[in-house]
Amino acid sequence: MSRLLVVDDEANIRLLYTEELTEEGYDVVTAATIAEATEKLQEGVFDLAVLDIKLKNESGIELLQQLVKDRHNMPVILCSAFSCYKDDFSAWLADGYVVKSGDLTELKQEIARILAKKAQKAAVGL
Amino acid sequence: MTTYLTGSDVDWECCWDRDVIALEDCPNIQEGDEDLLHSRRRRILEKCCDCPNFKRDLNRFRESGHPLAPVFILVHEEHQRQKTQIQSLVSFLDNKTLEVRFLHELGSVLQSSVDLEEVLSVALTAITAGKGFGMNRAFLLLIDRDHAMLNGFLAIGPRNFEEACQAWDEIAGNDMDLQTLAQSFRLNKLSSERAKFHDILEQLSVPLSDEGHILIRALDGRHPLLIEDAFHNPDVTPGLAHLLGVDTFLLMPLHSRNRRIGMIIADNCITHRKITAEDMHSLETFTFPVAFAIERASLYDRLQLELNRVTEASNKLREQQELIVRMEKMALVGRITSSVAHSIRNPLMIIGGFARSMLKTAPASDPKRDFIESIVSEARQLEGVLDEILNYSDSLYPTRDFWDVNQMTETTLKDLQGLLQQKECQFSFEPDLSIPHAYVDIKQLSYCLRTLIINEVDSRSGNHLRIRTEGRADGIRVSIENRDCKVAQAELDMLLSPFAITHDMGTGFGLALCKTMLEKQGIPLDVFAPPEGGITYTITLPIRKEEQS
Repeated sequence: MSRLLVVDDEANIRLLYTEELTEEGYDVVTAATIAEATEKLQEGVFDLAVLDIKLKNESGIELLQQLVKDRHNMPVILCSAFSCYKDDFSAWLADGYVVKSGDLTELKQEIARILAKKAQKAAVGL
Repeated sequence: MTTYLTGSDVDWECCWDRDVIALEDCPNIQEGDEDLLHSRRRRILEKCCDCPNFKRDLNRFRESGHPLAPVFILVHEEHQRQKTQIQSLVSFLDNKTLEVRFLHELGSVLQSSVDLEEVLSVALTAITAGKGFGMNRAFLLLIDRDHAMLNGFLAIGPRNFEEACQAWDEIAGNDMDLQTLAQSFRLNKLSSERAKFHDILEQLSVPLSDEGHILIRALDGRHPLLIEDAFHNPDVTPGLAHLLGVDTFLLMPLHSRNRRIGMIIADNCITHRKITAEDMHSLETFTFPVAFAIERASLYDRLQLELNRVTEASNKLREQQELIVRMEKMALVGRITSSVAHSIRNPLMIIGGFARSMLKTAPASDPKRDFIESIVSEARQLEGVLDEILNYSDSLYPTRDFWDVNQMTETTLKDLQGLLQQKECQFSFEPDLSIPHAYVDIKQLSYCLRTLIINEVDSRSGNHLRIRTEGRADGIRVSIENRDCKVAQAELDMLLSPFAITHDMGTGFGLALCKTMLEKQGIPLDVFAPPEGGITYTITLPIRKEEQS
């Protein structure tokens, strides 16, 4: 079972992600802030992270940069209310970008695609 | 008692003794002078005094020994002398009048022109034209202040006798005033004359520091200088004499106030007519307005140049100011849309998301299932509206650059591959690999292409789309063609109108937004749907910045 870390400052969104992604067969762990996410990352290993960009007074992009800097080797999907960040070069570090929607199909497809790619890379020893 | 000749008993040869004569009685009266036939006084003064018959009559009178005869002859001789003098003065006066008229005409042209080429054309034409100073050839040298040189700039005149005859015949055949002559020279001959004398003009170059050179000495002397016997004149370098190929030429320095402007060298290389002191005096009078006009035209040229620079700088400044204002507006719009996006999209996602979750677990018999389905549908529609509003705010301020349209189209099609498969839509992309980069806002163009394709796929299932790029004279044409559909005229009219719903989803704002976005970039979006079927969307993209509206 793949472990996902979901970081979003909205409690209801965290709940929605947990419900929907658990139903898809993932082990979902959530965090509301960067500090909480960092704590969770130290506690265990995750296969993929879903980050919101606007986290109250923090930025998911900062966490993304931190993850890249720390060589976490964990794919990240940015999930945001803003489509404009898709063209922001700082968001290019992420493996995927999904605009928030009540229909989570796109997010689920993106998670499945990235995890499959990761698994494929692992299989050939990359 | 002495008897003298009298009018009544002598048959005089001249008609002076008759009150009225016939035309054939006087060989000096021509047609048109008939009034002299009846006016004895005027006839005597105007015709008889010069007539050989009258002179013979006078001689006969003298021979008669009349004491008044020598006095009479003396008075006649004095009258004739004074008459000749008056005629000479009249002729001189006529010449001077012509000269004044010419200088006046020249002055008017020179004073009214600020075009350097026109001034130079007038000046050189005046020196060489028969109606002007009538010199055969003239060279104009101008001072290059940046390099401290006196350089040959322009010349006029024939290079050999044949050419001279041809040019003079041509001028004689067209009776033109100075201004017309100069205008004709400027339009038809300025470039060719410059090219014709290029070899000489190129060598007529003297540093201003060479104070011993005859040209610089003449320039500093401020007065015309006639050079004679140039080939043996110790003041003239052999190089200059050979270059000009004449032994006599005139150097006319051009000064405006205390500034040295240049020099005119004039000669009679074809006719070898002597250059007189009077020529020099007339030309000296002429050099001042020429120098002044040249300086004024040069200053005007520089002023124009500076004005263009200032205008350019002012335009740049205005563009920068507009950019700053636009960026401030963009920042404001960005902040507002960001706030709207965050405030609305998150609750919408939660409402829509949980409604979907509930729908998945609600049994088909649940009476509340319809309500939940409505919530899902409304939330989805609101998300669509929100997307369109945010995209519209993006469209207000396009950011253009040069982009590869083929690559953009491929990326868009790759993004839409899932949707196209889901809708069982086949598509083909035919890129024109020779097209240059287009000057567009790539984000907006990509959005428009995406929206047009989605619109076709959503509204008409099972179609085949043909997407093409094509390089054309007016830009790059991107077309999306769907041949498997038939669009009614009413639907076509509504297609690009805001809020026209042409299919079951969305507000129908998308295509209108595309049109607005593209129009803001000066890009036309055309829709063509022939009655026999099919629909084609065409976007023509600019390839250069200046093509933007």
